[in-house]
Amino acid sequence: MNIYVCVKHVPDTAATIRVGADYRIDEDITFIMNPYDENAVEEAVRLKKRMAGAEVIAVTLGKAAAEATLRSALAMGADRAILVRSDKHHDCITTAGALCAAIRQDGNPDLIFTGRESIDAEGFQTMYRMGVNLGIPVASNVIAFDMDGQRVSVISEMEAGEHACLEMTTPCIIGAGKGLNQPSYPKLPDILQARKKTITVIDEEQSGTHSSASRVETVILEIASEERQPEALEGSAEEIADAIVGILRNEAKVLMNS
Amino acid sequence: MTKKYDAIIIGAGVIGCPIAYELAKMGYKTLTVDKLSDAGEGSTAASCAIVRAHYSTVDGVAMAYEGFKYWLDWKKYLDNVEDEKGLAKYMNTGSILIKSQGHDWRKVQSNYDAVGVTYEEWDVDKIKEKVPVYDMHEFWPVKRPEDPDFFNEPTKMLEGAIFCPEGGYMSDPALSAHNIMRAAEAKGSEFIFNAEVVAVRSENNQVLGITLKDGTDIDAPVVVNVAGPHSYKINQMAAGVYEECNIKTKALRHEVMHCPAPEGYDYLKDGYHTSDGDVGCYYRPEVGNMFLIGSEDPECDPQEWVDPDVFYAGKETYVRNNQLTVEQWNAQTYRCARRVSDMAIPNQPRGVCDLYDCSDDWIPIYDKSSMQGFYMAIGSSGNQYKNAPVAGSMMAELIDKCEKGYDHDKEPLQYTLPHIGRKIDVGFFSRNREINYNSSFSVNG
Repeated sequence: MNIYVCVKHVPDTAATIRVGADYRIDEDITFIMNPYDENAVEEAVRLKKRMAGAEVIAVTLGKAAAEATLRSALAMGADRAILVRSDKHHDCITTAGALCAAIRQDGNPDLIFTGRESIDAEGFQTMYRMGVNLGIPVASNVIAFDMDGQRVSVISEMEAGEHACLEMTTPCIIGAGKGLNQPSYPKLPDILQARKKTITVIDEEQSGTHSSASRVETVILEIASEERQPEALEGSAEEIADAIVGILRNEAKVLMNS
Repeated sequence: MTKKYDAIIIGAGVIGCPIAYELAKMGYKTLTVDKLSDAGEGSTAASCAIVRAHYSTVDGVAMAYEGFKYWLDWKKYLDNVEDEKGLAKYMNTGSILIKSQGHDWRKVQSNYDAVGVTYEEWDVDKIKEKVPVYDMHEFWPVKRPEDPDFFNEPTKMLEGAIFCPEGGYMSDPALSAHNIMRAAEAKGSEFIFNAEVVAVRSENNQVLGITLKDGTDIDAPVVVNVAGPHSYKINQMAAGVYEECNIKTKALRHEVMHCPAPEGYDYLKDGYHTSDGDVGCYYRPEVGNMFLIGSEDPECDPQEWVDPDVFYAGKETYVRNNQLTVEQWNAQTYRCARRVSDMAIPNQPRGVCDLYDCSDDWIPIYDKSSMQGFYMAIGSSGNQYKNAPVAGSMMAELIDKCEKGYDHDKEPLQYTLPHIGRKIDVGFFSRNREINYNSSFSVNG
C-alpha cells in the first residue's frame, strides 16, 4: 500500500515576514513544515503501523532548502521522500501538477494525505487540483479518519459546528485538519534515523509536469497591517463571562445559538 | 520646571528595581526610568530566572547563596506589599550540577565548602533513581549537530553530580521585577515608563541628571546605569565613563528553547534544574511540562554580538526580532536530547530569543565610575537574575557610602551579606579590574 503525504516548507508562524522589492517574501527566516501537514504525516504514519507492508512517502515541491521539511517528515515516521526541486514560484495549478507527476512517476497511490491548507499561500486549491489531475475524490479539513479495505470514512469539518461524514473509495485525497490527531514529535533517535533515509531529488523539468494554458501570478504582495482595538470588559465575573459568550456567538460566530 | 530627585535609576529590570527599593528604604527620593512600558519587560522578561548557587568564584557562590534567602521569603523581602498582578513564586526544584569536563565542579565544590552551601554528592545510580529519564553517558566534548561526530555512540559513563537541595527558579521574572517596583513605590520610589534616556548630563565631572527623548530634563546628584543590554550605550552618554572602564559590556544574542518532556514523566513536578556542562546546556522545568533549555556557551557555538536598538527594533521597524534560528534550535535541543533521549523535539522551534548584557569576563560590574555620582550595575552576563536583591542592597550601600565621601576606588567596600554574615569584596566587581581568568566565561559566571 502506497501512502503519499504532500508537505510544504513554509515560513515559521513566529517569523517576522518581510516582503522585498520583487514582491517576494524575504526567505532569510526560519522555515518549518506547514503545521497542517504535520497532522497529515501523523495520520499517514499511524495508518502505516496498522497496515502490513504499507509505505509512507513524503513529497514536496520546493527549493533545495525544503529538504529540511522532508527530513522532519522522515523523523516523524515517513519511510522515504521525494523532492521535486524548483527555484521558481508556483501557483496551485503547477504545484498540483508537479506533485501528481512525481507521485505517478513513483508508484500508484492508495491514499494521499496533505494539510487542509498551507499557512503561507492559503490557496486552499492544491489538493482539489490534485484530485482533478488524478481523477480521484478529495475530502478536506478532515478531523476523523478510518479505513476498512478500500473504503475510507472521514468526518470533515465544514462551517463552525457542522460536520459531514463522507465515504470514499481508494485512491483518494485526505486534507488533514488540526483536530485529526495530535502529532507526536520526533525524538533524537528518530531524527538520527531520518538522516539515513532516502530523499529522491528530481528536477521539475524531469518530473513530467505539463504546463498549463493559464496561470496565476502574484503582482503585488504587501504586509497587511492589523490595527488592534482591544476592548476591556467590565463587571462581575458572571457579567464578563456572559459578554464573552455573546461575542463568541454574535460577532465571532463560533458558537451556535442554542 | 526640571524635576529633581536624590537618585535616578536607568532601567526598571530585576536589578534596577531592587536598587531603587533599597535606596528608598535609606531615605533617597528615587526615580526609575525605563524605555519600555512596565517593570521587567526588557531582557528581565526573557530571563530563565534560575536560582542556583554554583559559580566559579567564592564571592559568586556567596552572593548567590545569599540571594536564596530573599527568594525563599519573597513576601518578607517585599515587606508584604500588594501587587495587583500577584506575586512571583519561587519554585524550589533542587539543582543538579553534573560532574563533567565541561564544568570545573571541583572548584565549585570547594567554593561550596568555603561558603557553607548545603549539598550532596550523587553517583550515577542515585541520579538514575531520582531522574530516570537521564542517560548518564559521557558525551564530551560539546559539539554541534553539523559535526559528523555529534551522533557517535558514547562509551564512557559520567561520574555523578553535586546536588544542592536549595535551587530552582522564579515562576515569572518580569512579575518579580514588578513586585519589587511595587515594594519600592510603597517606600516612596517613583517610576516612569516609555521614557528613553538620550543624554546623561554632567558638569565638572559631577553628574547632573538625564535628558529623555521627549526633551524632559530630570536632575539628580546620583544616576545609576542599570540599562541591561543598553548599558554600554548609557555609559557612552556619560562623558569619559565608557572610555575609563577597563571592563566593557556589550549585547550578546541568546536563545532558549522549550521542548515537551518525555511522555509519562512529570518534569514540572518531579524535575530538577540541571547544569550539564557535558552537553553544554542547562535545563529546568517550564509550564506545560516542558524542558526549558539554555546554552552554557560552549566554545563551538558562535557568539552574535548585536546592537540592542537594532535587535529590539527587529530588522523592520515595528517588531521585535525574537526569532529562533534553526541551527541553534537543533544545537540546543539535540544536545539536551543526548541526556534525555525520550524528549520530543517539535518541528517548529519554540522558545525565547533575547540579549545578555555581557561583560568581558562574564562577571558583572557593580561599581561607581570616574564621574562623581554616576554608578553602574551592568554586565549581568545572563547570570545575575538570582543575585538581584543582593545586588540591590549592595549597590545601595555602595552609593550611600560613596556619596558620603568614601573612596571605593582606593579602598574597596567590604559588603556584609546580611543573611549569611559573610563579607564580600565589592572591588571584585570593579570596572577597573583586570579580566578575571577564574571566570567560566559563560552564563555560569
